[in-house]
Amino acid sequence: MKSILLSGIFVLGLSAAAYAQEAVIGAILPLSGSSATQGEDQRRGMELALEKINADGGVLGHPLKIVTEDSGGRTATALDAAKKLVTVDKVPVVLGEFSSGITIPIAQYLLQQDRVHINIGSSSTQIRTLGKGAFSVIGLDDVSGAFAAQDVFADGAKKVAVIAPNNAYGQGITNAFAAKFKSLGGVITSAILYTEGQTTYRRELQQLAAGEPDLYVYTAYGKESATINRESFELGLNDKKWYGLYLTMCTADSDAQYVEGQIGMDLNYIGGNGADYQKAYEAKFKGGFTSTFNGFAYDGVMLVAAAINKANSLDPKKIETAIADIGKSYEGVTGPIVLDADGQRSAQPYLRLKVESGKAVATQ
Amino acid sequence: MFQFLVDVLMRACDLMLVAIGMSAVYSLMKFPNIALVQYAATGGVLAIVLQKTGMPVVIAIAFAVLLTGLLAVILNEFLFNRMLKIGSSTAMIGSLAVSMIFSAGFLVTVGPSPSRFAMPLSRPVRILDARITEPQLLSFAIVAAAIGMFALLYFRTDLGRCMRATSTNEVLADATGINTARMKTIIVLISGVMAALGGVAIALKGEVDIQMGMDLLLPVFASAILGGLGNPFGAIAGALLISFAETAVTAVNFGPLLGQVVAFLPVAYASAISFLLLVAALLWRPRGLFVSEVKRV
Repeated sequence: MKSILLSGIFVLGLSAAAYAQEAVIGAILPLSGSSATQGEDQRRGMELALEKINADGGVLGHPLKIVTEDSGGRTATALDAAKKLVTVDKVPVVLGEFSSGITIPIAQYLLQQDRVHINIGSSSTQIRTLGKGAFSVIGLDDVSGAFAAQDVFADGAKKVAVIAPNNAYGQGITNAFAAKFKSLGGVITSAILYTEGQTTYRRELQQLAAGEPDLYVYTAYGKESATINRESFELGLNDKKWYGLYLTMCTADSDAQYVEGQIGMDLNYIGGNGADYQKAYEAKFKGGFTSTFNGFAYDGVMLVAAAINKANSLDPKKIETAIADIGKSYEGVTGPIVLDADGQRSAQPYLRLKVESGKAVATQ
Repeated sequence: MFQFLVDVLMRACDLMLVAIGMSAVYSLMKFPNIALVQYAATGGVLAIVLQKTGMPVVIAIAFAVLLTGLLAVILNEFLFNRMLKIGSSTAMIGSLAVSMIFSAGFLVTVGPSPSRFAMPLSRPVRILDARITEPQLLSFAIVAAAIGMFALLYFRTDLGRCMRATSTNEVLADATGINTARMKTIIVLISGVMAALGGVAIALKGEVDIQMGMDLLLPVFASAILGGLGNPFGAIAGALLISFAETAVTAVNFGPLLGQVVAFLPVAYASAISFLLLVAALLWRPRGLFVSEVKRV
């Protein structure tokens, strides 16, 4: 009896050890809702990373597994997803989301639970102050806002109107843009933060037009952006130039005829080493990148896998140290990733883009 | 200035037909049918879906509107009449539950993304200082035609007279030989058709999403109550008043007062103003701004 009990415990102990070796990480993405197009693209980047990692032998000798949850584009759903990943799947690391207004709360929750958070798609400047254990593989808006302001000013516009979503992302990028634009000598006639999820933005657009700007600066999530582009066309605001911040996000779901000729900026989503990745994406998904965000999801997963292997453990604290270590100089498909003291990507190159025949092409 | 008038008219057109339907049905059924706003959404969504199957737009709209009217009659016959026997608040809560089932139905069938009619690109035309597109003009035309036909029916036909009699005093109408059961069915059918037409008018101007019904609920209610429940044409005035208030609140430039070039109230205040008006109306003129024949709210 005693020997059966002892051997039973021994076998259980072995299997527990073997089970603990399998690496499971979590991801929260907007697979439905206004950013569904971008969320699906992020998922594709992760899928490619997973294939590559497992083809190379996996993590800690076992295949890597990613549990992906849909945030639905809503904070409450995303927080439920984070709770589930922490308490049920017991993951040490979670990647996500896309919208800053959702990324920040889930990151705060994950850090409270002593897990590691990787930001792969948000850019609000508030992400910098999240704390230890939160990392970003994507550049924040203090840099992108300033870049856009310089671009717009160089284009000749001295009075601009700005419209952005009323959340952490919109507020952050509007402030960053406005600060730089004013310092260059420009004037912001009005800045409107629109409420997400409306079916019409006519009133906001008319308020913007009343200031008679030279150029409109806008940024909006996919489906809402489609409405804004259509209504600005119907109101005749297309007579003036429109500049999109993260242009591919703004035009992904819009009808091509409404966005023809728009200019803007977006992330430089392919670095020197990204050619192989781009080929693999195009082969698997039968088409070019649907957004600029898949590469960052890919880099996020690759970085986490490398960190787990380096730490040789699934302990969140050890993974955190390993990420900080590897992040001192890591070559991702989106270019060189160097994480600064706050765990944020310190150098993020951007592209100037113009919409021609329905596609955003880089100009220089 | 003209753009302001156009905006007021556009917003009023969103609300008018559904408010008329709400008002007409309330006088008869003695409970506010919350599912009516979902009939509007159903009309819009159904018309878009039918057009996608290949029907020409006009036929798709006609079919969608008729089907929604029939749906209204069926739901009334099998659900709301029975709930009404228990009490009017039971019926109202029941209609709220039904409208939530509609929402879920839309989510499952059409999905969370907004739907649009397949229409060619429409450049805006300039009339005075306003910009209007053809679909918006079509939308105005539909609303005007619907109101015109309803007015004709209501005031010039025998059927209309019987409808008015039944709405005013059902017992008396019954005593004079009017088939009140048939009248009720006809009024429910017409209100369903009006609501569906309202939904189609909204769909033509832009897009329909699953939230459309619930977003319409409170402004439509406010319009119907301001006009006096039971007075369908008062609802038109109510809708105009609500849309004027909403548009004025966000279109007035307070800049000169504050020493800036432009200063507007945030757009979120637009809906707050219509509810303020509703509260004021309920406090001071609960029977509506116009004398209505129904002495009850």
